[in-house]
Amino acid sequence: MSVSKSSLILRRVTESRLFFPFVALALILLFDLVTVPGFFRIYTREGNLYGNLIDILRNGSTVSLLAIGMTLVIATRGVDLSVGAVMAIAASVAALLMNPYVLAKELPPHIMKFMTDPHFTYQPLWVVILVTLIVAAICGLWNGILVAYGKIQPMIATLILMIAGRGIAQLITNGVRIQIFYEPYAFIGQGWIVLPFSLYLVAIVFAVAWLLTRRTAIGMFIESVGTNSRSSFYSGIDEKKIKLLAYTFCGLCAGIAGLVESANIKTSDAFNMGQTKELDAILAVVIGGTLMSGGRFSLLASIVGAWVIQAITTSMYAIGVPAFALQAIKGVVVILVILLYSEQVRNLVQRLTVQKGA
Amino acid sequence: MRARILYVVLAVCLLVGLVGCGGKKSTAPACRPNCTYKDMVVGFLQTGSEGGWRAANSASFRETAEQLGITLKFYDSQNDLARQVAGFHQFIQDPEVNVIILAALETTGWEEVLKEAQEAGKIVVLEDRRIDAPPELYATYIGSDFAEEGRKAADEMCRLLEGSEKKNVWELVGNVGSSAAKDRGQGFRERMGQCGIQITKSQTGNWSITEGKQVTEAWLKETTDVQGIFAQNDEMGLGAIEALKEAGLKPGVDVKIVSVDATAGAFKAMLAGELNVTVECNPLLAPQVYEAALKALNGEQLPKWVPSQEGVFRADMPNLKEIAESRKY
Repeated sequence: MSVSKSSLILRRVTESRLFFPFVALALILLFDLVTVPGFFRIYTREGNLYGNLIDILRNGSTVSLLAIGMTLVIATRGVDLSVGAVMAIAASVAALLMNPYVLAKELPPHIMKFMTDPHFTYQPLWVVILVTLIVAAICGLWNGILVAYGKIQPMIATLILMIAGRGIAQLITNGVRIQIFYEPYAFIGQGWIVLPFSLYLVAIVFAVAWLLTRRTAIGMFIESVGTNSRSSFYSGIDEKKIKLLAYTFCGLCAGIAGLVESANIKTSDAFNMGQTKELDAILAVVIGGTLMSGGRFSLLASIVGAWVIQAITTSMYAIGVPAFALQAIKGVVVILVILLYSEQVRNLVQRLTVQKGA
Repeated sequence: MRARILYVVLAVCLLVGLVGCGGKKSTAPACRPNCTYKDMVVGFLQTGSEGGWRAANSASFRETAEQLGITLKFYDSQNDLARQVAGFHQFIQDPEVNVIILAALETTGWEEVLKEAQEAGKIVVLEDRRIDAPPELYATYIGSDFAEEGRKAADEMCRLLEGSEKKNVWELVGNVGSSAAKDRGQGFRERMGQCGIQITKSQTGNWSITEGKQVTEAWLKETTDVQGIFAQNDEMGLGAIEALKEAGLKPGVDVKIVSVDATAGAFKAMLAGELNVTVECNPLLAPQVYEAALKALNGEQLPKWVPSQEGVFRADMPNLKEIAESRKY
């Protein structure tokens, strides 16, 4: 009796959506354990935790944030390629609100002095954050309108903002890279309260998304739109509004990611900010087991997917892979991770667990 | 016999020189040899926008043309090779244009258009980006000597680490395969042996702040036995500075940092005492390029490569603040 009960638990674990992302993460970390001495060392400084593992969590937070929004979009059978560009727009807006003087050619000396003052900001912090997030949400809304009401294919619709967005970001800052000196803002990306502050942001965004989708019917609506839009139409679900919501939320997540990233590097780097991050976010969702064809999704699994990607990168740096081999090896590892999801491997795992139970 | 005739014709052509050959129209500009900047009509093929350096580069060409009275036709290739080649053809066919300045997007495949340009009597000057083409097809190339920048960086690092017992240096490399990354790394290695510097770690940061920071962060978890960081551009240097600060080290003091480019961000970091040296990679090439183009227009032969004039800026310069304020990028 007790044997079958434990086998039941084992099966529930292996069939969980979180199982494979965690296995992938565990395998990568196991590899580090063997090859990099001291990889798991975590130490405290001034009461805060530091170490490679913390780095993975922290540097993965940008992609985690993007992946949360991306999960909802992909679940509606869509995709959002513009998140990297929206990050750049958000960073530019935030930097400009804090320090609009950089765009002026000639400045009176008393303002010059302010510009590098860590306590100076033109607009208060809450205005900076609020306006930035509103702008990001509008970007998402724009994508949503094109997809839901314009009936444009998601990849094409969001490609528009992906290309134009970076240009817009550069227009906002007039092609200049604005440095950020304001310390309270930098805290968003660099601050620590025992753990890195950006991790708390990920937790909050995750909690909001989880409550929104799992404590209301919205999550079910999203899955039904992604699985079969026609039948969901006949059951009275307003597909357009659901899509609009998903894309807007995705834009909002990208805006938060832009805040975190720009605060982390303390500049608005419109040209480089978020480059190819949209691909990382999509990969994170896929590693998390959500299908590109939409339908069922798991937010937590996507976040774990983001950590898998970051764990690969951080491990490469720690192992000391030569620069020219970096991309290729990353590609190989990603293939191996994706292979874990194949039918064959799933069946194998299932057979093993059944055998054990028998 | 036919070959003979051909040789004779060729020899005559060579004698006549640039005036031209066969039925083709004259290729020498009308104003030669007394051309001035006022006679110059320049078609400038820029790569596209990519950041602060490129913006300063474009601005330099616009402003200098205005000052010298040169007519400038600016063409933005938007980082698209096909567009750039189309722009080149446009300038070849434009009867007003007598000088074409090219910041090439690709290193190969320019022979055909360069020949066309030569036949149409246009002077071609290469700016910033070198190409693989027979040198007789263009007047000259003006751009940075990336290897020299690397050598200067190594010399500066030697100076900074003088008296230091250990000389372990970490290197943040630019985009793998780019000529700037290759040559800067090579130049640095040529000189670093003179004072016993050892590169203990080297990784790409893809020219970006974020990756420069992440790479340095990962290394710092393993060891803090590092005396210097050589960042192949300012951005990666700024990333390393942030990583060092978070690890509780004093950038510029505990770990000496040398970067390349001399952008505004680097000057701010130097004024804050966090960056030690930045080696200039000058984007303000226009005065040198226009001068060379004018000489070529007047029939003068030029060396095929004129290195741009570049300096070194140190954090301990007494007039650093004034220099920083007078900089354009």
